[in-house]
Amino acid sequence: MNELRRAWLITLKDLRLEFRTGGRLVAMIAFVVLAGFLFAFALDRTAVAGRDVAAALLWLVMLFASTAGAGRIFDAEEEEGAFRHLLLTPVSRPAVFLGKTAANLVVIWLVTALAFISLTAFLDVRDQGSLAAHAAVLLPGTIGLAATGTFFGRMSRHSSLGDTLLPVLTFPLLVPVIYFGATSTARVFLERPWTEISGSVRLLWAFAVGSVFIGAALFRHLTDE
Amino acid sequence: MSTRGRITGLALVTSGVATILVAHWMMAFWVPNEATQGVVQRIFYVHVPAAWTMFIAVGIVALASAVYLWLKDERADAAAVAAGEGALIFGAIMLISGPLWGRLIWDTYWEWEPRLTLSLLLWFTYLGYFMVRGSVADPGRAKRFAAVVAVVGSLNIPLIHVSVEMFRSLHPGPVVMNPEGPTLPADMLVTLLTMWAGFVMLFLGLFTFRYAVERLRRRPLPAAAGETGEALI
Repeated sequence: MNELRRAWLITLKDLRLEFRTGGRLVAMIAFVVLAGFLFAFALDRTAVAGRDVAAALLWLVMLFASTAGAGRIFDAEEEEGAFRHLLLTPVSRPAVFLGKTAANLVVIWLVTALAFISLTAFLDVRDQGSLAAHAAVLLPGTIGLAATGTFFGRMSRHSSLGDTLLPVLTFPLLVPVIYFGATSTARVFLERPWTEISGSVRLLWAFAVGSVFIGAALFRHLTDE
Repeated sequence: MSTRGRITGLALVTSGVATILVAHWMMAFWVPNEATQGVVQRIFYVHVPAAWTMFIAVGIVALASAVYLWLKDERADAAAVAAGEGALIFGAIMLISGPLWGRLIWDTYWEWEPRLTLSLLLWFTYLGYFMVRGSVADPGRAKRFAAVVAVVGSLNIPLIHVSVEMFRSLHPGPVVMNPEGPTLPADMLVTLLTMWAGFVMLFLGLFTFRYAVERLRRRPLPAAAGETGEALI
């Protein structure tokens, strides 16, 4: 059984656990819907058009939701001692990281889809641009968020500061994702040509691929028990 | 701490402080006012050397952390801690002096400018480095986690730099480290380099002492007096 197959099994196991218990997913969904609702209330739309700020708010909601969820990725396994057993199986550390990142990514996709729908609805953004172009921007961005969250989520699990530590560690690293993601999404909303967006998307892919590879390479240092 | 180490550390701190005092005298009385910015430009002689010294410290932390992850050598981790504190101190000097200068010449405390933004994010990364060290109960795990933060933080620098470079920039271009050589007048360059030499000596002196303290702190304690039958005094 190769490592990718093992990683895939970990992803399926995590997703099954996620959908059966539902705690983290429900909390993240509630967060993005309520955040969109509150942003709509907080904005004076006689002064600022919803479409002008929707991209920035979407990426911030995704960032906050994924950071809040990252602290809980390892919780269920740690409480039952199952993570130690997982490490004792003949699965490499990179495969564990990839499996967990993929499961986290699926959860972030669901949350992102809901954040997109709720924000565009609450902010009354009628011309949303091409959905395929949105997906092309959001895909590498969410991979970067998922890999970084999974990596540092493991670290915060052992810290007495818990989830308070996560933003301090992840936000400085995620500046490129937020910058390139929010500017690209804003341009998609404005239906600007893809040539104005493709450069930023390439950099989002660079971050996504880099964070997955670096995370996989360094994950063993976070799991050497 | 060995006598040699103590003498080296003391010599570096003393000469560093003396050089900084001389550089302050040069800054106040010797170097002329810059033509466009006037007296305000003198903050430059503190701001720029502090930034350069912070980047030296950051380089040492990243290198020592990578060595620690590779070899699990306690000396590398002690060096990373000692340099990390230097990075925070000199980074704080740079981040305080920069906005003060900016407020007077740009009429704004903060400008979304590549070097300024990169420095702020690096500073927060190193704050996170010490938060990890202080909040993870198992010392071995805390060292590993902190080393990982330092390595990941340094690997992200190029991408942060590219992202923030796309913002409009007010920050002056390089006047010393540019391919055509320094464009700064000689007296200004001498003052700048004197201050930098003072900062680097002070940093290396503090690094030497802090490294020695960190090594002493990790030395195994001798057996308790009661166990060996020795008197306490």
